[in-house]
Amino acid sequence: MPDQLTDAVIVGGNRIPFGKAGGAYAAASNQAMLTATLDGLVARFGLAGERLGEVAAGAVLKHARDFNLTREAVLGSALAATTPAYDLQQACGTGLETVLQVANKIRLGQVDSGVAGGVDSASDAPIAVGEGLRKALLGASRARTPMARAKALAAVRPGDLAPETPRNAEPRTGLSMGEHQALTAREWGITREAQDELAAASHHRLAAAWDSGFFDDLATGFLRLTRDEGLRPDTSVDKLAALSPVFGKGEGATMTAGNSTPLSDGAALLLLGSPQWAAEHRLPALARFVDAEVAAVDYVSGDEGLLMAPAYAVPRLLARQGLTLDDIDRFEIHEAFASTVLATMAAWESEEFCTGRLGLDGPLGTVDRTRLNVHGSSLAAGHPFAATGGRIVATLAKTLHDLGPGSRGLISICAAGGQGVVAILEGC
Amino acid sequence: MQGESDRPTDAAAASPTAAATAAAVPDETPRDVDVELLDRAPRVAAAFATGVATGWRRPGARGTLPARRLVLPGVHQDVSRLAEFCSVTGGLLGDTVPATWLHVLTFPLQVRLMAAQDFPFPMLGMVHVGNRMTVHRPVRVHEELTLSVRAERLAPHRKGSTVDVVGEVRVADDLVWEGRSTYLVRGDTPPGAPAPVEEGAPATEPEPGRQLALWRLPADLGRSYARVAGDANPIHLSALSAKAFGFPRAIAHGMWTHARVLAAVQPRLPRRYTVSAAFAKPILLPSTVVLLTGAQDLGDLTVTDRKGSRTHVSMQVSPLG
Repeated sequence: MPDQLTDAVIVGGNRIPFGKAGGAYAAASNQAMLTATLDGLVARFGLAGERLGEVAAGAVLKHARDFNLTREAVLGSALAATTPAYDLQQACGTGLETVLQVANKIRLGQVDSGVAGGVDSASDAPIAVGEGLRKALLGASRARTPMARAKALAAVRPGDLAPETPRNAEPRTGLSMGEHQALTAREWGITREAQDELAAASHHRLAAAWDSGFFDDLATGFLRLTRDEGLRPDTSVDKLAALSPVFGKGEGATMTAGNSTPLSDGAALLLLGSPQWAAEHRLPALARFVDAEVAAVDYVSGDEGLLMAPAYAVPRLLARQGLTLDDIDRFEIHEAFASTVLATMAAWESEEFCTGRLGLDGPLGTVDRTRLNVHGSSLAAGHPFAATGGRIVATLAKTLHDLGPGSRGLISICAAGGQGVVAILEGC
Repeated sequence: MQGESDRPTDAAAASPTAAATAAAVPDETPRDVDVELLDRAPRVAAAFATGVATGWRRPGARGTLPARRLVLPGVHQDVSRLAEFCSVTGGLLGDTVPATWLHVLTFPLQVRLMAAQDFPFPMLGMVHVGNRMTVHRPVRVHEELTLSVRAERLAPHRKGSTVDVVGEVRVADDLVWEGRSTYLVRGDTPPGAPAPVEEGAPATEPEPGRQLALWRLPADLGRSYARVAGDANPIHLSALSAKAFGFPRAIAHGMWTHARVLAAVQPRLPRRYTVSAAFAKPILLPSTVVLLTGAQDLGDLTVTDRKGSRTHVSMQVSPLG
């Protein structure tokens, strides 16, 4: 174990443009998208045949056959087959959590390089058979005689044949993520207008980033897509205002399909290394991984909103680093819903929340909106759950590199299960 | 992977002109003058039916090959069908398409050419014995393709005669893929026969090396592959229909096995390569087979039964300069 920690730097990233569920990637599996993204990363940085320290990735919606998804992607890629890999899953926090894992191992000197990120397909989601059919099939597979097998299968009732599709709902509350967030939006008084403004800005900024070539060295086209499929450069606050609410009930409902992220398909990966490894391979360093924090909230009892954990994680992280919101040059707050971003920022501005819940002396502070999601975020790009962390880290690392050495960026990602993963990067 | 340039068949395979001279094609008509331009992919089932219905009127080895080249421009690749092809052949859908997929795209043109009345052999009974493909550069799934197919090199074989059906894929004017399928027709041999040549067969039987994979092939594999590849030859579809043609059970498509092998070694395939395959003993379905790699040369790939005593397909992959 080294006496001093080494730095971990983000060398670069690669993602495929994100697709709409049932769209351009409808026929592509998680393994296909992850392998294509990995091969794109390997090609971009000339890593064919290299043994890297490790590859960590994950998927939230995962088929049983994909138990070793990331290792299978490595074996199907141009990387050396001697590169270890593992899967990790922390709902929408998956991608950023893999960055923590790989960066921490690099900092400890356990590996000198690694790939982190994730993939998700809402189009190719696993469908489970009903419980009655599943038990009958298991019974039949254990049967030793054809008679016993027939008997086991005879237990199947017509109702057992209905498949169980995965639902975007919390197992303990039965509410969908959008229904949970509708409660939070109402509690914080987040207006429809503010949500639609944030959504329109996300589309306009992401479109400008694509137009300016910002993603030229961060993305590789895949299966006909050269830009994110859900991106609508010509949307506007007026157009978004015409949509009907889909989450929440009655008068006060504010959340529409326009200010909520759509179900998406895609993959995103990052290359990390020690500064020495990057230099030896004549590779750049975009940003340094500084620190991270993960928080969880008790949403089951109704004590806190499902997606509010980052509101707790960020103040803890800033305190540990001796920083305030004013020290941050760029914010990347994942747009699960426009109202999530707005409720999180409202909490940090609230004296009651910050003193009562966080134990601070007063409000944490205000996020300068001109520094927030400057190249657009999930509302425009889409949100293939485990791929979002990789997209955001790559975008922020490049943004900070463009701003110059010492510039600071904060990432905040909320996740199902009442969790939040946040991190600080510093431009190189 | 070992080069093949010293093999006598290589020069012939590399250049159609050389092939025409070397194999003493009876048909002296100049090539490339007679183009049949298609506006959509031929319907395989209809062409197949024509071929079968008119098969009895063919002159056999004493006839001449049609000089026509069938050309189909403006082909857009269907991603969902490609995904199913990859799934059935053990591959992974990607931006770059498998070489065997391009063979599948040219297959309806092959059938149309062979079913046409000016083709000298009856289509039923033609056995695919060898295949040789060259990938000049990776082909991407969104690229618009021009496909062409022609027949050439009617040559003697110890069991009858062989004929090559040659496919080409172009992107704009660039030749990106070539495929040569050699079919054996049992029976009389053409006149003026030079020494028989079996396309795709390795120069020497490679020394068996390591086992790379074991595959359990289900009874309905022929039907699954027929659905995605469009090759519904009855010998592949069911035991009953195979029996009608002298096989005890349905047999796997040779090109399925070919595609399965390429999918297995896909991560280490060169960017540009030639792959030759000799189809030996058919795989009777269902079956368990293994993939072996050469002891010396990883480019030598052989599919055999579990004991390694029956060779089903021998393949060789060589990088292109």
